[in-house]
Amino acid sequence: MDERVEVTLNINGEEYQLEIGKRWTLLYVLRDVLNMTGTKYGCGTGDCGVCKVLIDGEPVNSCTYLATRAQGKEIITIEGLSKDGRLTPVQQAFVETGAIQCGFCTPGMVITTTALLRRNPNPTREEIIAGLDNNLCRCTGYVKIIEAIELAARRMRGEA
Amino acid sequence: MSELKSLGKPTRRVDALEKVLGTGRYTHDLKIPGMLVAKVLRSPVPHAEIVKLDVTPALKVPGVVAAITSEDFVDHGNWGFPVKDDYMLAYKKVRYVGDPIAAVAAETEEAAEAGLQAIVLELKELPAVFDVHEALKPDAPILHEELAKAQAEETTSGELEDAEFIEVHGKGNLSETLIVRQGDPLSKLSECDVVLDAAYSVAHQEHAYLETEAALAVPTADGGVTVFVGDQNPFITLSNLVMTLGMPGKVRVVQSPHTGGAFGGKSDMVYETAAQAAMLAIKSGRPVKLVTSREESMIASYKRDAMEMRYRLGATKDGRLRAAKIECWADSGAYASMTPFTSWRATIHAMGPYHYEDCHVDMMCVYTNNGYSGAFRGFGNTEVTAASEQAIDELAEMCGMDPMDFRLKNCVELGDTLPFGQKLEYSVGLKQCLERVRKISDWDRKRAEYSRQPAHQEIRRGIGVASFFHGLSLGAEGLDFAEHTIRLGEGNKFEILTGLSDFGQGSRTVFSLIASEVLGFPVERFQWLPCDTDVVQECGPTVASRSTILGGNATRLAAMRLLTQLYDAAAMMMGCMVPEVRQEGEVFYGPAGQRVTLDELIAYARANHIPLSAKARWEMPRIHWSFAKGRGVPYVAYHFGAQVAEVEVDRRTGVTKVLNIYAVHDVGKVVFPQGIRGQIIGGISQGLGYALMERVEFEKGYIQNPNFDTYLIPTAADMPVVTVEFVESELPFGPFGAKNVAEPSMVPTAPAILNAIYHATGRRIRHLPANLERVLLGYDLKDTVTTTVCQVGVCERAKCEL
Repeated sequence: MDERVEVTLNINGEEYQLEIGKRWTLLYVLRDVLNMTGTKYGCGTGDCGVCKVLIDGEPVNSCTYLATRAQGKEIITIEGLSKDGRLTPVQQAFVETGAIQCGFCTPGMVITTTALLRRNPNPTREEIIAGLDNNLCRCTGYVKIIEAIELAARRMRGEA
Repeated sequence: MSELKSLGKPTRRVDALEKVLGTGRYTHDLKIPGMLVAKVLRSPVPHAEIVKLDVTPALKVPGVVAAITSEDFVDHGNWGFPVKDDYMLAYKKVRYVGDPIAAVAAETEEAAEAGLQAIVLELKELPAVFDVHEALKPDAPILHEELAKAQAEETTSGELEDAEFIEVHGKGNLSETLIVRQGDPLSKLSECDVVLDAAYSVAHQEHAYLETEAALAVPTADGGVTVFVGDQNPFITLSNLVMTLGMPGKVRVVQSPHTGGAFGGKSDMVYETAAQAAMLAIKSGRPVKLVTSREESMIASYKRDAMEMRYRLGATKDGRLRAAKIECWADSGAYASMTPFTSWRATIHAMGPYHYEDCHVDMMCVYTNNGYSGAFRGFGNTEVTAASEQAIDELAEMCGMDPMDFRLKNCVELGDTLPFGQKLEYSVGLKQCLERVRKISDWDRKRAEYSRQPAHQEIRRGIGVASFFHGLSLGAEGLDFAEHTIRLGEGNKFEILTGLSDFGQGSRTVFSLIASEVLGFPVERFQWLPCDTDVVQECGPTVASRSTILGGNATRLAAMRLLTQLYDAAAMMMGCMVPEVRQEGEVFYGPAGQRVTLDELIAYARANHIPLSAKARWEMPRIHWSFAKGRGVPYVAYHFGAQVAEVEVDRRTGVTKVLNIYAVHDVGKVVFPQGIRGQIIGGISQGLGYALMERVEFEKGYIQNPNFDTYLIPTAADMPVVTVEFVESELPFGPFGAKNVAEPSMVPTAPAILNAIYHATGRRIRHLPANLERVLLGYDLKDTVTTTVCQVGVCERAKCEL
């Protein structure tokens, strides 16, 4: 049995004091301990990106990130992006452009996009595509996701 | 048709909001108090006899609550359709690496894992077979001895009506043979001016839905079980559970609100997952959740079948197709699953949508120890079209014709007869698709320009086309119907009850739009519900791109009945006669200026016990296909389409970049514009993966690439610019003229890309995927890496074989 440790995690602006296994991933803690199921499990190897969360503003695959390592850092999950059920510009653009089909990649895509547009508010199409290199989608063929990101970027720059 | 109000207008997906917020629940996300975690022990070898299996030691592991084997199920959990050759947990034998053998439920994942380790399993390995031709040899190891014996007896008793059919029957690992018969193509081929004789193959493809298979089983107070799943037909899951658990009337199947993709893959494997979880729940008396890991899913779940094909096509020298003789071998893997049906669809579509005088198609479904094969988007058509549309290109070149001209010369039109005797009576927009795609892709200019590239040029462009057809819905496979109810629910919204699942394709939105169109209310007035076998009527499986046609028509009819109820109630409320009632959107008017809103009308109906709930069943026109004669009407009508691919190939590295895909599809009528564009582009991405990178690599039955680090699917960087257009040929009995779209979208992509690569390089790659090595060298190093490390000499052999 995995050795237990006490950790304090800052998730979506709230502090959680938890006793967890030393080798538990952040994904496991989010989904199975805290029941925050918006962050998904897809591969367990950091290849598909459906488990992305923001750690200190950077998109990270939580399936290969040990929860203990997240101590002292700011963790934002899909549940923490919108306030009072109001969509962020990124979420709004995903809904409007039809970038969502089965929706299983959506939380990860939204997390990645949020970080991308913070870093680069005016990305070229090539930069958007490069930004999605660790997020798989099997339904949409990505085109509408790219369109959603372009729309969100325009709106966040106040151009649309 | 009068002008449409809702259909074809910009609309958002009705279930997008909770998906983007992360609040939408998938099966993976379900959690209830007291829930146990289940894990499955799977075969580590491709073929073996189970000598000893004892799960009692697992029960002694702390935290383990239940453990099961095939002994726990009725008739050992024997199931399967159309061939009952599979087991919910292996019985007597295992037939592929990943075959489920036993399952445990425990308090924690760690305990469940320890439970699996404690199970006593003794296997006696049997000789295995991994090649369809080897599997048909007389001395090949047999996967299903009892079935083979029964089949041999059936053949010798001479019960089958057609001698031609019997000829290929009854060989050990042959699970099924499907045929198409018209005339005598071999004689005709000898008369043809131009004859092509070429072999093609396609590889196993993984669905790669991002949500792996899962089930949550909850024991009920009456000793039964409720199972939550994300599947493609809750009623098939239900009937399999009832049969193998042996508890009629006590099983309920509920679909989770959302399912993370399916593409044909959320059937058989999910039925097994559901049965394993359900049996563990019954044995433990506790809720049990079973979620497969990605590796487990990729190893254990069924694939698109690999197929080998020999095409002999003949034409006149001026490019008129005359004869086709096509032989195919489908690798069914360890179980039949849907392979007999995918293979049937493959035989129908193997010749493509063209005129022929004579043709024969023979399709052998062969058991091997390579995993197992089943349904996947395109359902056999994707496989054969990858070959046939290359063969058509090759033949066009032999005739000295432009591939577009060749297709236009031979393609079927309304009123024409398909090679197996079916007259095309409805909705044939193929010629328009070809003409349109020729124009929007700037075909003639690019084709001429790329043909003039100097021989020494290393980075080369090419442009290729593929056209195709795809039969609507199930066809002559079986009874084809759907029954929907639209009923008044909370918040004065109308709930659309359906047994058809929405795992991302958008059927919920399509049904809402159709109900909106008929009733004249905004889309927001309608509410979707997940399928629940205690609530909805059976609608048949959510497969074969049938939801829009079947469910759309059932919705349309139910909405019309509901409208009648509303008019009756409005007349009663306003004190007038029904024909005097006039409606504008959500307001009803009487002859003397009376005015009631829908909400007022609903309040009146509730107060006066007037039900506002209507159901309707819609059935496809019945047709007949003679499986023994290989003739008849396989599908009532067809989707048609053509795609053009434009590629850039670096001859020094083998890297192929798809620059553009132009897709024109005859969909009958566009219902949900955003959704249909998503279906087409999504299908193209799967077709692009199929063409260039996707192959489940079986090495003596072991999958070498069981996760996304080694099994590559297209990323955003792989996608070309996609231009999508539609031809609306209006199917008379489609809802508002609509046809199918989901499966067809990927069918022509791979051959269009392969034809473009040939145009760019002059090198024909007849074996998919056209990965770097095949594009660079003309063969794949991995083809020979079976037991030894690849050496130069071995690679030379591969070159000869290819």
